[in-house]
Amino acid sequence: MKIVSEFTKGLYRENPVFRLALGLCPTLAVTSSVENGVGMGVAATLVLVCSNFIISLVRNLVPKKIRIPIFIVIIATFVTIIEMLMQAYYPSLHKSLGIFVPLIVVNCIILGRAEAFASRNNVLYSIIDGIGMGVGFTLSLVLISSVREILGNGSFYGIFILPTAYKPVLMMVMAPGAFLTLGYLLAFFNWIDKSGNN
Amino acid sequence: MSKMFKLSVTPHIRDNTDVQKIMYSVILALLPAAAGAVYFFGLRALWLIVLSIISCAATEALIGKMLGKPLTIFDGSAVITGILLAFNLPVGVPWWIPVVGSIFGIAVGKMTFGGLGYNPVNPAILGRIFLLISWPIQMTTWHKPNGFTGLDAETVATPLAVLKQNSRIILNRDSSTIEAFNSATSKIAELSDSYMDLFIGNVSGCIGETSVLLLLIGASFLMYKHYIGWRIPFSFVATVGIFTWIFGGYEGYFTGPWLFHIISGGLIIGAFFMATDMVTSPITFRGRIIFGIGCGIITSVIRLWGGYPEGVSFSILLMNITVPIIDRYTRPRVFGKVGK
Amino acid sequence: MAGTFIGGVHPDDSKSLSNTCEIIEMPVPSIVVLPVSQHIGAPANVVVEKGQSVKKGDIVAEAGGFVSAPVHATVSGTVAAIEPRNTASGRKLLCVIIESDGEDSWSDGLNSKQDISSLSIKEKLGLIRDAGIVGLGGAAFPTHVKLSPPEDKPIDIVILNGVECEPYSTCDDRMMIERPGGIVEGLKILMEILDCKKGYIGIENNKPAAIKSMQDAVKGVDGITVEKLKVKYPQGGEKQLIYAITKRKVPAGGLPMDVGCVVQNVGTSAAVFEAVSLKRPLLERIVTVTGNGVAKPVNVLARIGESVENLINVAGGYSENAAKLIMGGPMMGPSQFTDEIPVVKGSSCVLVMNEDETDTGEQLPCISCARCVDVCPMRLMPSTLATLVEYEHWDDVKDYGVFDCIECGSCSYICPVKRKLVEYIKFGKASLTAISAKEKAKESSKEEKPEK
Repeated sequence: MKIVSEFTKGLYRENPVFRLALGLCPTLAVTSSVENGVGMGVAATLVLVCSNFIISLVRNLVPKKIRIPIFIVIIATFVTIIEMLMQAYYPSLHKSLGIFVPLIVVNCIILGRAEAFASRNNVLYSIIDGIGMGVGFTLSLVLISSVREILGNGSFYGIFILPTAYKPVLMMVMAPGAFLTLGYLLAFFNWIDKSGNN
Repeated sequence: MSKMFKLSVTPHIRDNTDVQKIMYSVILALLPAAAGAVYFFGLRALWLIVLSIISCAATEALIGKMLGKPLTIFDGSAVITGILLAFNLPVGVPWWIPVVGSIFGIAVGKMTFGGLGYNPVNPAILGRIFLLISWPIQMTTWHKPNGFTGLDAETVATPLAVLKQNSRIILNRDSSTIEAFNSATSKIAELSDSYMDLFIGNVSGCIGETSVLLLLIGASFLMYKHYIGWRIPFSFVATVGIFTWIFGGYEGYFTGPWLFHIISGGLIIGAFFMATDMVTSPITFRGRIIFGIGCGIITSVIRLWGGYPEGVSFSILLMNITVPIIDRYTRPRVFGKVGK
Repeated sequence: MAGTFIGGVHPDDSKSLSNTCEIIEMPVPSIVVLPVSQHIGAPANVVVEKGQSVKKGDIVAEAGGFVSAPVHATVSGTVAAIEPRNTASGRKLLCVIIESDGEDSWSDGLNSKQDISSLSIKEKLGLIRDAGIVGLGGAAFPTHVKLSPPEDKPIDIVILNGVECEPYSTCDDRMMIERPGGIVEGLKILMEILDCKKGYIGIENNKPAAIKSMQDAVKGVDGITVEKLKVKYPQGGEKQLIYAITKRKVPAGGLPMDVGCVVQNVGTSAAVFEAVSLKRPLLERIVTVTGNGVAKPVNVLARIGESVENLINVAGGYSENAAKLIMGGPMMGPSQFTDEIPVVKGSSCVLVMNEDETDTGEQLPCISCARCVDVCPMRLMPSTLATLVEYEHWDDVKDYGVFDCIECGSCSYICPVKRKLVEYIKFGKASLTAISAKEKAKESSKEEKPEK
């Protein structure tokens, strides 16, 4: 049961984007379309799970004072692997995500979970935590990018779902739309949380 | 036995001006320009203004109700936002533009922060910029001022856009043909024939910003009543004038068409009615002058060297955000304080 | 050219209710209630006992220090009680209550003509001090202290405050019209004590009769001129008055003597003349009883200690919907819950407002219109101060100059959303004072510990 709760906490209770406010930079940048959001989410999840696994394995061997650079090296290794795979098998996704793929190295979620969880817990829980956080991250990205793509482009995952009479709100696929969407969704989840407590 | 009396803290008397009086005076001051909008652009302009007002008021009332606040639309500020937003639209926009712009401006620019008094930026400006970047084509398609004969099928460019396009050709004379260069210089020369039209508003542009004359009539009424001060409008306009005079000409420095820049585009409506919005402008004397100068510089930079032909909205929005820090560093010196 | 200051507001002056009413001398009261603290400084110490018989002008409470003033019996009779009573400050203060014997007889030695020219400055100051004279403009600062500035602050200008900028108040106006001589003679004495050559009498332009009367009174007198001032509230604030007449700015946190000036109310000047020339202590003063809440506004000459209730009766009693009683003007006078309070040395005006005049409107959030910043005569930012007090940022409150506020009320008056700015500022001042008092107490208790 602990396993289940370690997994589900990443989905809502400790959702990395809406609760922990981690990894906001790629969140804002890549959610202009659902396809990009899913791609980034899956890539980050893979890196997160793998790095959590390794870091948890070596957690007792890493000297405290230099743990951060060591984590970064581990994470960077996996990001490089994932990036090469993406370049080979999903070149268009790699092109549209652009610089944010290598920037997964400094995604706060990955380093944050390494520091807060994987370096202090056993391998099984670390993997579960990684999967949970990653899935939560991906779901958040999908939520934000759905809003942005539907309103800003009239489509979902590239499929036009709104009638042609709808003139899309270009601002939504630009930076201001990203900030506003994230802000309002954060406020919405805060409000649910508050009224849930009352 | 002695009577018991009411207690309160001093002062026990108040000036009889309240928010409603101020807001309704501003609405009154905007009526000449509204009449001008209808005169030059026809009944469609009136329709846009009405739609905008209704959308602003309805959004404010609905969201206010959702948040459990008392009804505030009768203080007049939502109506002013509606009028000003409509004034910033070209006459040919589809009906849903003012509606969506109003909803966005009021919901995001005002109600999200708590209503009147709490908004960091001018809601009308926010709505206008939202519309401009979201639907650039609709928001930059202008028609000739035909009055009641309706819209032409043909669309025209505003005087500022004409200036910008042709200035580019002239400044890049090496990469343009002789014919293009000559036609550009003659088009710009034509602009100086249109000063009277620019002043009374017989040019293409957004429905409320074209008539400098009618806007100034309204603004002088507000200044007489001391509802808007002189500092922001004059520093804004003067800065644009000076900046464009120095840098705006292509025959060297100090040859710029400063009068043209002052009376065209949204400068007069921006400087007198939108930059002076009380909630989003500084409260200190020196702060207001700095605000006006900042707006003027940003406007001029965008007009002369930026991608857009008009920069008034962006400059006001950017300066709105700097207001808290301007206020902090321009505190008036307390009477009798020596030194800091 | 009428002088003025920066800022200020223009409330309706409402002086026509009472500015043509000649001063009425009230009959001798049957009971007077004399608070021992009617002035700034230490309260006076009671020196009589219950049952003791006193004559008019006897000292019933002696000055409690240098910055203090004695309290005199204002009728002859018997001390009926010495107990706390309601006063205009809103609190119960210790009072000496005297029942009149109807004789109204002077104490020995008082009320006798003096040869002014033979008195030394020290003697004159002594007479002023013994007469218990304090600032009659409302602040009630002991006059002999004001007239004894330290050696390093030479005075070269004396200003008499005949401005009376508060709406409704007309006591100084009528005094200048009906009794100008005493004012000018008093000013001469003040100038002699302070050894200065220039004296000004500042009067606002809405008092043409008073201006004419004072100009006639100073004709031929060297060094004294009447200064006409633009009508603006609060022109009567001493810093604003000094600036308007002399263009000198009193430093923030400083006093008029820092710029070589002394300011006195015209009534104080007249009281000084009576004290020095006739050896009369301060026993009575002119009070305006006015407002739409009394039947017939009047200006009365009332004894100190007279009940405000009696003053209202002289003014024809309350109107039907009288609702607010204010001791002072509408801009700075504290509102009272009862009229069973005595007239004190600083009581210049009793104002009664009607029910329909008391609604000041609902308070809404600040719209940053900056009208308060524009009108503040001390160049503060009242809306910012009020917000800082609301959020209890005490360091910023101090930094933004809350203690420089003269509480004139111009900001609250002009605010279109009816924010209670003065209330916030007053609360801010009180909180800061309480905090620093707590800190001082902590520090002194810390100092005691090592000794143990």
